[in-house]
Amino acid sequence: VGLPLLGLVAVLKSGRGLAAPYSVDGAWKIDSSVDRSSASACGNLLSSITSAPLSISQSGKTLVVTLSGGTKTTAGTLEGKALKAQFVAAGNSGTADCGDGGLTLTATLDPQAEPRVLRGTLAVAGCASCVPLEFRAVRQPKSPGGTR
Amino acid sequence: MPNLFILVLQVAVVLTACRLTGALFRKFQQPRVVGEMFAGIMLGPSLLGWIAPHFSAYLFPASSLGFLNALSQIGVIIFMFLVGLGINPKELQKEGHAAVLSSHVSITAPFVLAAFLALYLYPRLSDDSVAFSSFALFMGAAMSITAFPVLARILQERKMMHSRLGTVAIACAAVDDVTGWIILAYIVVLIRAAHSPTSIWVTLGGIVVFAVIMIYGVQRLLQHIFLHAYERWGHLSENRMAFMILLVLASSLLTESLGIHLLFGAFLMGAIMPKEPKFVRYVLDRFETITVTLLLPLFFAFTGLRTNIGLVKGPTMWMYCGLIILVATVGKLGGSTIAARVTGMPWRESAGLGILMNARGLMELVILDVGLDIGVISPALFSMMVMMALVTTFMTTPALNVICPKALLEAAPDKAGARPSSPPVGPPEGESQVA
Repeated sequence: VGLPLLGLVAVLKSGRGLAAPYSVDGAWKIDSSVDRSSASACGNLLSSITSAPLSISQSGKTLVVTLSGGTKTTAGTLEGKALKAQFVAAGNSGTADCGDGGLTLTATLDPQAEPRVLRGTLAVAGCASCVPLEFRAVRQPKSPGGTR
Repeated sequence: MPNLFILVLQVAVVLTACRLTGALFRKFQQPRVVGEMFAGIMLGPSLLGWIAPHFSAYLFPASSLGFLNALSQIGVIIFMFLVGLGINPKELQKEGHAAVLSSHVSITAPFVLAAFLALYLYPRLSDDSVAFSSFALFMGAAMSITAFPVLARILQERKMMHSRLGTVAIACAAVDDVTGWIILAYIVVLIRAAHSPTSIWVTLGGIVVFAVIMIYGVQRLLQHIFLHAYERWGHLSENRMAFMILLVLASSLLTESLGIHLLFGAFLMGAIMPKEPKFVRYVLDRFETITVTLLLPLFFAFTGLRTNIGLVKGPTMWMYCGLIILVATVGKLGGSTIAARVTGMPWRESAGLGILMNARGLMELVILDVGLDIGVISPALFSMMVMMALVTTFMTTPALNVICPKALLEAAPDKAGARPSSPPVGPPEGESQVA
């Protein structure tokens, strides 16, 4: 039993040097102070989407990103500090002026900020005239009992 | 306020699915619990949510899951009390060299292998909010656990409780579970302390004081309150049964407020209850039916709702999952087999012990649920570990049929000589339903 315990100690020591992906798991409040006048025809669509919190469920670099209070969910990735998620069109979510409703979310994490902050853009796929909506999201504190 | 219609509908659907699937699995000589675990997964996003997302969203709306969880946690609290009740530490001391060595190896082998695996999985399936030590220790605890109630049930069904293999297996499982829960308690304290203003040493000190009071103070009182009353009247009054439940709840609340989990208090209260076999059987009979038929299926359903096999996407993720199952099996099955062989058990019996120890069942789900709650494992890893629990439990009966068929055990007399009149730990013989 002694030898395996020594092995365990060695593993715990060497594991300290490992780097795991940055944590982005949890609920993120999208900052309402973002200037939405920058959005053009798609402004209403994007504003309605960003009025609800952004929710991320993380497993390493693989993410499940939820927008608009759970109505839009997709898989995303985290590479270093760069987060990317592509929402396919829901069919009826687009408008005549605003593409097919498919969305692309790209953001960069500020891991030094406490709480952590995401800065990025939300763009409508297939809408050349739309200006991507810039946003800033702040991670909400986790509940004390459970963290995930 | 909960939507009562939805809540009652959920309970009805869960009960139906669990009973049907459990019965189906019994036809294949599997413990009912394997079928019920499977039913829970079927009701979650892995199947129902995948093939009928609108119906799934109607039946299990996110707003209702808190109530379902609360009900299921009450069931798990009572279940952990019953598991503690079935463990008799004094009887463990009677077991010989085989049990002592096998139990130590059956913990350390999967634990260390899991820690090595953590080196590989941590950068891939975790994130920087979890310390590597917490991640590795949790993986070790989760892989070294054994489904004590499932194991007891399999041994009862095969009439192996009094065989050498049976007594050693159940002793090892009890030691493994107690050790696993102590390690898990430490991890929970470690992680919660990081988010709490209270020093970890204050928390640990409080836990030690609580455990000492329970073991050396409350345990004696329980003999007077429950065992003596039972011996005098042959039963316990409703007031005493209510008081027993209150003690379980109070113990759970105390451990929760001390910074570990509700379940540790319930387990400890069960562990310090009087161990007179008839008394244990009597208490089990009073609690089992409602727990097993109503509350635990809700826990399986809630666990299934949190298990999303869709997260295990792509060959790489499935490779991680396969690796987890392989390491868990090699560590537990291999470690226990070799240890038993070293102590002089014949190969087949040694392998039989390894197979039995490899079953993880419901105990694994309980641990994983705690791990997901405290954030030490990610949702994808949770799903992989649930699959590992299912696979290792599912393979127990068929593997045992091949390695240790009943005819072989009946033909081979017990070489260790006289066996104890009752199993060393676990519920006294009878139709225990906890498994």
